[in-house]
Amino acid sequence: MDDNLEKPTAELKAEAGDDLAEEDQSSGDEDQGLDWTKLMPKAARPVIPKRGDKEYEPSKKGGSGLQQHILQRSRNAMFEALRADRTISNKSLSYGTWHPSIARVSVTVARGTVMGTIGHSVPRETVMPNGNLKTQKRLELLPEEAIYLIERGSLLCWKESEMEYLNECIFESVSGSPMTVQQAYTEMIGKEDLTMDRYQVYAYLKRLGYAVTRTKPPSIFYPTAAPYPLSSTASFSPLSIVGRISALFSSWISKISFLFLRNTFNWWRPLQFSNWFKKDKNYAFIFRSLRFIPSGNKVPIYIPPETKLPLSPYEPFFNLYKPPTPFRKSAPPPPDYQMVVVNARTTPMPSLRELTAIYDNAPELLPPQRRVRNPPQAQGVSYKKSATNPNPNALPDTQSQKPDQSTASPSQSSEKSSIISGLASWFHRKPAPPPAKPQRKPNPFAVLRQGKKTAIIATVDAGTINIFRFAQGAFEVDPWF
Amino acid sequence: MKGRGPNKGGARHHENNRIYAHPLPLTFSDPSSNRTRPILGLLGLSRSQVINPHCEGYYDASTRSVWVVNQRDSEILWRRGFFGKGNLSRSEPSWFVRQVKDRQIRRVGSNASKMTSEELREKRRADRKQFKLDRAAAIAKVAAEAETIFETEGRVVVPALFGPQIPSGATWKPKTDESEPATDGNSDETEAIVKNTPDIEEALEDMEHLQLTLQEAFFLTWNFDCITILNPDTDEPLSLKDIWTSFQQVFLAPSTSISLTPVLEFDNPFLVHYAAYHHYRSLGWVVKTGLKFCVDYLLYKRGPVFTHAEFAIVVCPVYEDPQDQESSATNIQNASPFTWSWLSTINRANSQVMKTLVLAYVTIPAQCRLSKEILNSPACFAHYSVREVIVRRFIPARMRD
Repeated sequence: MDDNLEKPTAELKAEAGDDLAEEDQSSGDEDQGLDWTKLMPKAARPVIPKRGDKEYEPSKKGGSGLQQHILQRSRNAMFEALRADRTISNKSLSYGTWHPSIARVSVTVARGTVMGTIGHSVPRETVMPNGNLKTQKRLELLPEEAIYLIERGSLLCWKESEMEYLNECIFESVSGSPMTVQQAYTEMIGKEDLTMDRYQVYAYLKRLGYAVTRTKPPSIFYPTAAPYPLSSTASFSPLSIVGRISALFSSWISKISFLFLRNTFNWWRPLQFSNWFKKDKNYAFIFRSLRFIPSGNKVPIYIPPETKLPLSPYEPFFNLYKPPTPFRKSAPPPPDYQMVVVNARTTPMPSLRELTAIYDNAPELLPPQRRVRNPPQAQGVSYKKSATNPNPNALPDTQSQKPDQSTASPSQSSEKSSIISGLASWFHRKPAPPPAKPQRKPNPFAVLRQGKKTAIIATVDAGTINIFRFAQGAFEVDPWF
Repeated sequence: MKGRGPNKGGARHHENNRIYAHPLPLTFSDPSSNRTRPILGLLGLSRSQVINPHCEGYYDASTRSVWVVNQRDSEILWRRGFFGKGNLSRSEPSWFVRQVKDRQIRRVGSNASKMTSEELREKRRADRKQFKLDRAAAIAKVAAEAETIFETEGRVVVPALFGPQIPSGATWKPKTDESEPATDGNSDETEAIVKNTPDIEEALEDMEHLQLTLQEAFFLTWNFDCITILNPDTDEPLSLKDIWTSFQQVFLAPSTSISLTPVLEFDNPFLVHYAAYHHYRSLGWVVKTGLKFCVDYLLYKRGPVFTHAEFAIVVCPVYEDPQDQESSATNIQNASPFTWSWLSTINRANSQVMKTLVLAYVTIPAQCRLSKEILNSPACFAHYSVREVIVRRFIPARMRD
């Protein structure tokens, strides 16, 4: 414990370094093709200086020679990086037109892998060269997608205009007046529910490599994410059947015993012992019989009649897909996370009712897995198959045998899906394949910390983003006694 | 901090297991012989009895606590379930032991073997301070070396902030040889003082009492009847009914007329906090105050002597009927949602000490669905409910796969 507290370079540095590294990485990934900056002479290439360690303290005489020197060197590196021209390869440059009336950018030339997770296609009536109207599908961008692309230099955008412009032949497909980044910000923010806060969260997540879509489709042509597989929304899944039966059973027991006890339960003396029976002479019995205050999220929250609850600002706005999740923009899988974006200054924390409303539409989480550091070699393969999959893109064996399963939960991380399918197969086939090693019970503290469901809320304060997750706890499920 | 050697740590753990074997003040005894016990057991019967320790405590309205002045009772309540806190100690009432040891040291000049938790804490703080000084000195030394290299050779060496020459929390060891002469010098001085002062040790009296919060006291007396709460003015035991109303009344605004007793309310802080306290106790957690961590309660798995607290609980009352909140005179804490900055504050404070922040929502029954008559007995707890929300930060950069 002390070590963590005392190290001067504990966590902050790692995080800050991380961010930069991630940014570099993701832009590199998206370009894929030849990166021209790498062919430039070293001096002309922009170098983002790494953030270093903090100096311990200035020397007493005020900046010594060495300290001055190091500081100046860092400053020069920064100016050098800022002075460099921002360039983009022609092969990953797209062109588009902003249509303020429909708050969309239509993409005429789509290039670069970045377009793989951005935009959706919409059938629109277009004027053909011969003057006829024809419904054609075209790629359209939401305001946040357009700003993001324009800002990172991947999209040249024109504004739709009645005026005729003389275009160079390369731009024959676009018309109108060219837009600057500033213009894009002023015109597009405020359209289609996009606020500055939401854009900042969007851009932050995109730079980290997430695929980000809207939770609520802004139009009928916007592809809706597949619903969560039943197994995770807890209705008729093999996983929850057991849970439900036991829940039903226990609630039945408690109801019966409550009815039975109602006459005998003395609120002035809640704990009573028999004279002769053995079963109540232990601590487990005592603790169990003390659990009479209603608890847990299954207890409904009473709403008095004629009460109008205020409208909740807490509705998921973005769907998030982790970089390894296979993502098709025409048919997005169930999202890995859903995120609410609020302004940290104007919106207070969510109330219990607002959180409950989010949980009602959220999938139930699977219990956390124990991390296996060094799985034994002899059982390594079978163990990995059942618990952890080293390659996140490869589907586990059980899934390929059952196509219905693989379509049901392609978005789940490989870990989760392998468990679902593992459980599913266990329920479908009668003779279950004997597990090579019994799954270890997850760490009870990790289970409590994770909770049953989760609500992710990004708070933005003047450009600074802080994201919280609020997990629906279930302490009453697994008591110590 | 764990014990230094494996043997010592194991021994202490074993010792703690023995001392703190009972999670509650009640214990069981079986008078039947070894031969009859299994036979009775087969029939689901047993002659074992519940032994109630019958402790005593004084209700003190001005400090909103119950004082256990009897040493035997304090020890039982602390050791069986970690109830209460010594008023002159940080947790376990250890003032008397510390005083006796202090005087022994002054007289004999030798240190007794077992350190109290307060002494351990002082030692830890001194060690930590010394470590920081040593580290700063090492860093300054490395920087000075780099400086001379730059001035004499013109070579730029960025001075390291950690590495083999600079001690870290893992590598730094307290210098025992140097620190001891210093304390010896001190004890010489104090010895001289003691020699000059008249001997007053014989009259040493335990000035400490164990103070129970009202939640703890009610939990013990209501469920287990193992503590009798006395009226400090009359020395007469209070009835459970008296306790129930007076524990609520201390939180109510004083009534304007003397004859009229204040009306009990659903949003009484005692009721709301008791519901949360009882809930986590009934799940087997050891629940202690969390004031030092900006929260209401801390949850320990077996008790503070075994592990650090895992969870930090903030009790958040929720009015079923928002109108009750508006009309209430109580102004109960945390009933309205926090600002984000305050949530960040408490979350930061707790994640720094490896605790997970939990918001425990306690619903307060709506006045429109229940009569206030029900507040006259603990039966009202059937209409409260406890549920929790766990708060953690979400860092997208670490959640990518």
